Amino acid sequence: MRALIVDDERLARLELRRLLADHPEVEIAGEARHAEEALALIPKLAPDLVFLDIQMPGMTGFELLERLDDLPQVIFTTAYDQYAIQAFEVNALDYLLKPVAPARLATALAKVRPPSGQPRLEQVFVRDGDRCWIVRLPEIFLLESEGNYTRVCFGTERPLIRRSLNALEEQLDPAMFFRAGRKQIVNLKWVEKVDIAVSGGMVVTLRGGRSVEMSRRQSARLREALSL
Amino acid sequence: MTTRRAYWICQVLGWGAYSAFGLWIAAQSAGWRPSLEAGYFFYFLYSIGLTDLLRSEIRRRDWLCGPPRRIFLRLSLAAVAIGVVQAVLISSGVLVSEGRHSSFFEAATLMGVWLGTTYATGAWIGVYAAITTKRRRQENETRLQLALREAELRALEAQVNPHFLFNCLNSIRALVVENPALAQDMITRLANTLRHSLHRDLGHTVPLESELEAVSDYLALESVRFEDRLRVRLSIDTEARALAIPPMLLQTLVENALKHGIAPSPSGGELLIRAAAERGTLMVEVENTGRLGQPQPGVTQLGLSNVRERLRLLYGDRATLQLKDRGSDRVAATVLIPKLT
Repeated sequence: MRALIVDDERLARLELRRLLADHPEVEIAGEARHAEEALALIPKLAPDLVFLDIQMPGMTGFELLERLDDLPQVIFTTAYDQYAIQAFEVNALDYLLKPVAPARLATALAKVRPPSGQPRLEQVFVRDGDRCWIVRLPEIFLLESEGNYTRVCFGTERPLIRRSLNALEEQLDPAMFFRAGRKQIVNLKWVEKVDIAVSGGMVVTLRGGRSVEMSRRQSARLREALSL
Repeated sequence: MTTRRAYWICQVLGWGAYSAFGLWIAAQSAGWRPSLEAGYFFYFLYSIGLTDLLRSEIRRRDWLCGPPRRIFLRLSLAAVAIGVVQAVLISSGVLVSEGRHSSFFEAATLMGVWLGTTYATGAWIGVYAAITTKRRRQENETRLQLALREAELRALEAQVNPHFLFNCLNSIRALVVENPALAQDMITRLANTLRHSLHRDLGHTVPLESELEAVSDYLALESVRFEDRLRVRLSIDTEARALAIPPMLLQTLVENALKHGIAPSPSGGELLIRAAAERGTLMVEVENTGRLGQPQPGVTQLGLSNVRERLRLLYGDRATLQLKDRGSDRVAATVLIPKLT
């Protein structure tokens, strides 16, 4: 597993490097001194895992994640950041408090999934004000276009991310996500019921009650996808 | 009891007692007469009215502020003027009741009446000024205490700032292997910094020298974290070292410079601490790389406003703090305080 360390303090990077020496399965692919550098390195190194400091000069760790198209797995490292930690605890994102206890690092690493081997997008980072989530794609039942933004629907949350629906679609697995129309992409795993509308198109109802109407053309494609 | 109520009770009792006493003395020689009683009763009423008018003037024009000589002059003139008005009113009363041939209108008697009214009003002013000044001083002291508490709390927060503390410990953990000697040094400095923040008496001024020591421990710790991103230069006049400054003043300015000037910049910046004694003034300045931004929401400048408040309470308008852009890429916080040891 290849990891990138992002921290503005050399000693903090050094310390983490030393702690990671006990975990031979983690190979350190590189280090970044600030978010700007990480933004350039992540696409190039394509790490499986990023250790990310939150407070950094220029751009915070959160801002960095918002700008990434393809999100690696992330473990936050922070000295003290009450609000961020609250956000993590709500969303079960993993974080390490500096100075890092070796046992705590081992626990965090145990939760990291091994690299899947396929380059598909697996999760997205979403921030809405003070709250943030790393959402696994299967949890998302609906993506709705709002101009250059996309509304991500999962659980009871509906935050916006700064990516267009079209840009997102290119990275999604077509076996899971289906373009229902100009403005919506539905997760086929969440489809509960399909009805024929008066217009001849289809109306899919998702688990949770949300329904989306499709054009005739899309309906034909959906029939194929669901092999009705 | 409210101040207002206490004031009116004092007014009525004070002037009432004084008028009654005057009436009793006058009655001993002239006998009890309705005109005399009425005269003293009116004196009682308009004395309250006149002094109340004076009180609102004193408050409106802030007559109790400024150099003591000027205060004394103003108040003396006020006493003389009100004394004249009272004497004129008394004379008018006598004129109505006894006619213009009364023995009252002899120069010596008139003089005596005027002196009497002036003394009485003067005494009123003296008591009023004494009470008001004392109360003001107490209020000022309370506010100073409050500002100090706040500074103390903020200092404690800043120095035992969890973000600072835990990052510091993390750096030390790394140094234990990389550079054990530096790790030891850092532990000592961290201990100093914590001790400094726990044993602090903000009620008195301290020599610049001792404040500099504390600041240099703090900066040494931050330098380990920031490494080459933080470059510190000191330029301190020998004479300035022994001069008195409010505790935590320099510390607050330095923290501010680090937080807003150095930390946000990926390439870091330079921090310059200057102190110089110039004629009657001590100049302390912290300059850093950066620009004064637009005030951002959430940035309250709490540290600086607290410094301003403490300077005002300690030195009145004789001390200033200015935060300004200097050149195109620097910000300077300059404090001027009266030179005291």
